[in-house]
Amino acid sequence: MTGLFSEVFLGALLFGAITAAIPLLLAGLGEQMSEKAGVLNIGIEGMMIGGAYLGFVAAFYSGSLWLGFLFGACAGIAVAALMALLCVRLGLNQIVIGIGLTLGLEGLTALLHHFQFSRSYPRLPAAERTEIPLLADIPVLGPALFRHHLIVYLAIALVFVMIYVYRRTQLGLNLQAAGDKPAALDVAGVDVIRTRTVAVLFTGAMAGLGGAYLANVGAGIFIPFITNGAGFLGIVLAMLARGRPVWVLLGALLFGLCLSLTTAMQVAGINIPTDVIQMLPFLAVMVMLVAFGRRGSLPAALGIPYERGAR
Amino acid sequence: MKSLKASVSAILLSGLLMGGAFAGEVKSIAILTPEEGTDYGWNQQGVAAAKAAAEAAGIEVIVAQGLGYGDVRPTLRELAEEGASLLIAHASGYNTSAPEIANELKVPVAIVDTPDALKKGLVADYTLSGHEGAYLAGRLAAKMSRSKTVGIVVSGEPPSWNSQSAAFAQGVKAENPEVKVTYAVIGPAAYSDAAGGKRVTESVIAAGADIIFGQGNGSSFGMLQAVETTKAADGGKVHFIDVIGDKTAIDKGFLLTSVIWDITPVYAAMIADLKADTFGTKRYAIGLKDDSVKLLKTGEIPDDVWSQVQALREDVLSGKIKVEPVFEASAVRALMTNVTE
Repeated sequence: MTGLFSEVFLGALLFGAITAAIPLLLAGLGEQMSEKAGVLNIGIEGMMIGGAYLGFVAAFYSGSLWLGFLFGACAGIAVAALMALLCVRLGLNQIVIGIGLTLGLEGLTALLHHFQFSRSYPRLPAAERTEIPLLADIPVLGPALFRHHLIVYLAIALVFVMIYVYRRTQLGLNLQAAGDKPAALDVAGVDVIRTRTVAVLFTGAMAGLGGAYLANVGAGIFIPFITNGAGFLGIVLAMLARGRPVWVLLGALLFGLCLSLTTAMQVAGINIPTDVIQMLPFLAVMVMLVAFGRRGSLPAALGIPYERGAR
Repeated sequence: MKSLKASVSAILLSGLLMGGAFAGEVKSIAILTPEEGTDYGWNQQGVAAAKAAAEAAGIEVIVAQGLGYGDVRPTLRELAEEGASLLIAHASGYNTSAPEIANELKVPVAIVDTPDALKKGLVADYTLSGHEGAYLAGRLAAKMSRSKTVGIVVSGEPPSWNSQSAAFAQGVKAENPEVKVTYAVIGPAAYSDAAGGKRVTESVIAAGADIIFGQGNGSSFGMLQAVETTKAADGGKVHFIDVIGDKTAIDKGFLLTSVIWDITPVYAAMIADLKADTFGTKRYAIGLKDDSVKLLKTGEIPDDVWSQVQALREDVLSGKIKVEPVFEASAVRALMTNVTE
């Protein structure tokens, strides 16, 4: 059976929602750690596109998506290292450097793509899917939710790892202090610069991984500017989630679901302006996070470079 | 006396500076594209046409490609300072900044998707439409669809694409009113959203479409990827109909046809208008008549079907079939609603 309310169509919509949510989830979780540590990481879009490019190159030449993810994360870390050097070590303006890195990476990857792929536009085969036994057999929901690439389940599991890290570990406490009261952390004998650097590098790894997923699984191809603002959406999710990983997950999933809903409404032939339909994902995420995410707060020293002894 | 000298000097100097904007002095043209001119689509056709028109006119061409969809004012200023006699801003996202620079530096610019922005000597618009070709593509799709459902996927709703979406749907219904046409926009300006292109196309295929009419710049590669990796409801192949460029070189056997544009006559006419001092006073068009719009013949189209489509082309040329462009997005959506009922 085909058509609007067929199992195949509904399954495709749900599957698409998850696929669209994962890069946002990874970018959002990464950004959240930077923000916890006091670094507003505007360069995340650049880290994502760097990860998308190198991740695609690695996957294309090796034939291994896992190698693609690894290289994608490494590319993100490399860009993040620049961010850490300039903003955390040297204390330069985080917004200016972040925008500069994004623009630079967009240009660099477009240039590299031009020399390497602009005549051939290679595409990857469809990503292999891992079925979760029993659950994958549930009608409609099973194929849509429980037959994804393994990285999808790992990304969701990471949310709970992050919750544990933030609540139960010394690292989580240090990150919180680096963002709220960096001077107090310094007095306690913990290196603020090192703590913030670790956070920024983690952000790079997550953003790069998200970019690699976007190119290798989401699109199956790399083209210039492919991230299309996904990194900035990750920043929005992290800001609105106010330090709580599970809200990043919920926000990303809601965004993905609303994207699929917009497709369904259009395919159904509902004649209302497309712009109105397409506001839905952004509106839904903002309403949800503003309504339910207010209890959290952003770090007091967010965006402020730390300098020992400065008042 | 001193002030008189100064005034005369100022008039002479401004005359010299304004010279670039006046008739008969076209030395070079520049084209700015958001993506690389190797995309087998909008950007490539634009760059190729600018080169061809410049060569035919015996003038130089400067290509600034891969500029993205952000602010291109610095590039426009730089190209104007390099002496370009015409700046072709080849993206709808540039149609605010380019007229600003034209007014500021008095250098003629050509923009797209803003037909009301004409300004004599300074601003010309070349909102083009391959609607006649899209109509034929619709007739072809309706003839070849096994599921009797075809899909339109676009990455935005600029006037040029609206007219082609509408004409495609009209062609489908003219050929077979029983064929369903589904329509989905990836995003408000998702021109480079390849992942979105793949996701939306997969959904449209799941809704039953076995032929996708895709308009997307970079995102069309995501559509192509979806077509290559997703089977139709009957387990068979899904075909892709592209627009503007020719993706044959990278096709893996899924490209049914393409509504190919040749923009060369448009740019050649602009150069002629600059020389004749009529720039910014008229509209430009492409169509089947001079082959500036044509359908691509691929091995996926049976010969008898191709012959039928060519006969329809003759009917369009003779006026027996009239295809009017529909530029408004709301009118396009209304048409889709009607055809899907």
